[in-house]
Amino acid sequence: MYLENLKIVSKTLSFWTTSCSSFNTRNLFFVSMANLMLNKLSTTLTTSNQDDDNDTNNNLNEINSSRLLANTFFAIFISNKIFTNFIFKKKFKEILAALVIGLASVGASFGLRKMYVKALLKIFEYATNIKQEKLKDYEELIDNELETQMERHEKIKKMQRLRLDTFRLDSADKQLLDDSDKQNNNYIRDEKEISNKQRTLSDMKRDFQLDDITDFVHQGLQSIIDDQVTKRFTTEELTVWNLLSRNDQQYEYISFRVTILWLFGFILRYCVLFPFRLVLFIFACSFTFLSTFLIGRIREGKFKCWLNWYATLILHRILSRVFSAIITFHNREHKAKCGSICVANHTSPIDVIILSTDNCYSMIGQQHGGFTGMMQKAFSRSARHIWFDRSETKDRTLVAKRMDEHVKDKSNMPILIFPEGTCINNTSVMMFKKGCFEIDTVIYPVAIKYDPRFGDAFWNSSKHTMLQYLMLMMTSWAIVVDVYYLPPMTKYPLEDAASFAKRVKQVIAKKGGFVDLEWDGMLKRASPKLDLMYEQQENYSKHLKIN
Amino acid sequence: MGSSSSILLTKEEIQNIANDTGFAPNQIKRLYNRFTTLDKDTKGYLDRQDLLKIPELHVNPLCERIIEVLVDDHGRDGKLNFKQFAAVFSTFRRGKVEQNDLNSKQNKLKFLFGIYDRDKDNKINKSELLSILKMLVGSNIPEDQMNSIAERTITELDENGDLVITFEEFCETLQKIDVDEKMSMKFLT
Repeated sequence: MYLENLKIVSKTLSFWTTSCSSFNTRNLFFVSMANLMLNKLSTTLTTSNQDDDNDTNNNLNEINSSRLLANTFFAIFISNKIFTNFIFKKKFKEILAALVIGLASVGASFGLRKMYVKALLKIFEYATNIKQEKLKDYEELIDNELETQMERHEKIKKMQRLRLDTFRLDSADKQLLDDSDKQNNNYIRDEKEISNKQRTLSDMKRDFQLDDITDFVHQGLQSIIDDQVTKRFTTEELTVWNLLSRNDQQYEYISFRVTILWLFGFILRYCVLFPFRLVLFIFACSFTFLSTFLIGRIREGKFKCWLNWYATLILHRILSRVFSAIITFHNREHKAKCGSICVANHTSPIDVIILSTDNCYSMIGQQHGGFTGMMQKAFSRSARHIWFDRSETKDRTLVAKRMDEHVKDKSNMPILIFPEGTCINNTSVMMFKKGCFEIDTVIYPVAIKYDPRFGDAFWNSSKHTMLQYLMLMMTSWAIVVDVYYLPPMTKYPLEDAASFAKRVKQVIAKKGGFVDLEWDGMLKRASPKLDLMYEQQENYSKHLKIN
Repeated sequence: MGSSSSILLTKEEIQNIANDTGFAPNQIKRLYNRFTTLDKDTKGYLDRQDLLKIPELHVNPLCERIIEVLVDDHGRDGKLNFKQFAAVFSTFRRGKVEQNDLNSKQNKLKFLFGIYDRDKDNKINKSELLSILKMLVGSNIPEDQMNSIAERTITELDENGDLVITFEEFCETLQKIDVDEKMSMKFLT
């Protein structure tokens, strides 16, 4: 463990030195530190003012007013910078960096990223159109040899429909979504169909028939072609091509125009965006270690809490810019309050960063090794987070107890939990572990929906390590995400934890437009329990006549 | 970035498979994507372990048998490569059937018959029937009763009195259901 950590530390250090020499980061660092100090000063001013007026707990107001002040300070600072330094063009980079970090830390934006995303969408549409036209030509060529007139007609119709709606869900999924509205447990649908058929075939028991196997065989084969579970653990399929070759497995030469476009995008992503993001990321990481180290030194109390609150917000805002995150929060009035639990669907480690740009959370989760583990350790220096080893069942009751204690203390930050326990590709929600629903407190559900067109946020942990994943994220176009805060929910008096978990999951699935699945997300690694098979066998034998 | 699959199908290969199986090129691409997702270690073939990892298949009572038929009968040495994969599944392709097409009713019946007939003597004997029965009911019906069910089924369907069910007899019993409809699947394009 330690050796691994050491290796990573040395790696980051070497990164540091190289980027320092090439990007002149040392200066950048000081500039941005000064900038941050200013921001913090301004927030201090505003909050202390407000504390005198009335003892308000409304952080939103605080943040807003502090933002204003910070912005004015910042504007003065920047204009000063420009006046003194713009003549020396070398310093341009520094100003840019300071600008980005400064804006990020107060959560303000010039709206540049929104424009960037709009432009990207237009380009994607253009590329997809060219691609589809080419594909159509190719298809028709083969169609003439292969398919009958009828089928071709149908296909062309379908193609036209596909091109009309550049919606990101594929048609099969859309159908499923409709289905899941009507009936939530669509994984038992097949079985239900089978058992229903058996029931209608004969209300009485009947003899064994040789064709009894057809339904089972059919269902089995169908699941090989397309199943509801494993495809949730791989990258979502898109109907629009986003000029990232990674989304399109069958990449091939399409046309000159598209290739040029792709090349241009590639250069932009890897040679312009990536280095800048990397520097920003390294800065954010050092900021994390520094701030958590310093805050960890302060003795427990209101001041530490308060300092930590702003440090974390600033940190996560900077981190979110590393991925050019464009986050839209909906229904902010339902933001999780202190001493409660916030529950969200899980797609990637970025989820935490996204949510933390608007609110502070106590994190709970598995103790990781490597880079993630280092970050976890850093975070727990400055605030109370709960890390545990998932394989230890003994720990599980301990965690529940600690969570209970944490929630009871109303000064504690809300706990952020991803009850699915694993990353899912943002098209569905899987079974919620009932652990956190057993605790007697208010639950704030949150639905996080990424726009996969600009870069797939899903972390396929069996394929990429954390650093590889971060690299992928930093070379994507952007991370566009909608966060829906949902009204708080509490357990009904006679409800058990499992059905409460299901209820919360349904609400999240509906808001985020996910397919609501009952399967356990742990199936990613483990084989399923055979209960379902026994159920089917029992069902079948019930209808079999025994003499 | 190593995220896209390393082996890609060329247009010629797609064309060949399309000619052999009757799938549309887009369907083949889809199938290939699916194949590579199931093939966890990019071995170029699927084996029993790969297929067992599909949860919905795993909980199917006939899971073991279906996998056995796929990798042993339709693949080679317990390995199912993409060409074989496409060929098996083209049996269940919906659409107009012409004679000698892979998705003929005869082929579907053959596949179902293969589920029973493990020693490939073109006959279903009592022990083969019993093993399927066991998979379907699990431990819900005692052994001796299953035995009698198997015996009765065989005597009922057996016409010439040799106490085995031949393929012809099998087809005859399955006349009453629409095998073409029941064993056709939706392939995404």
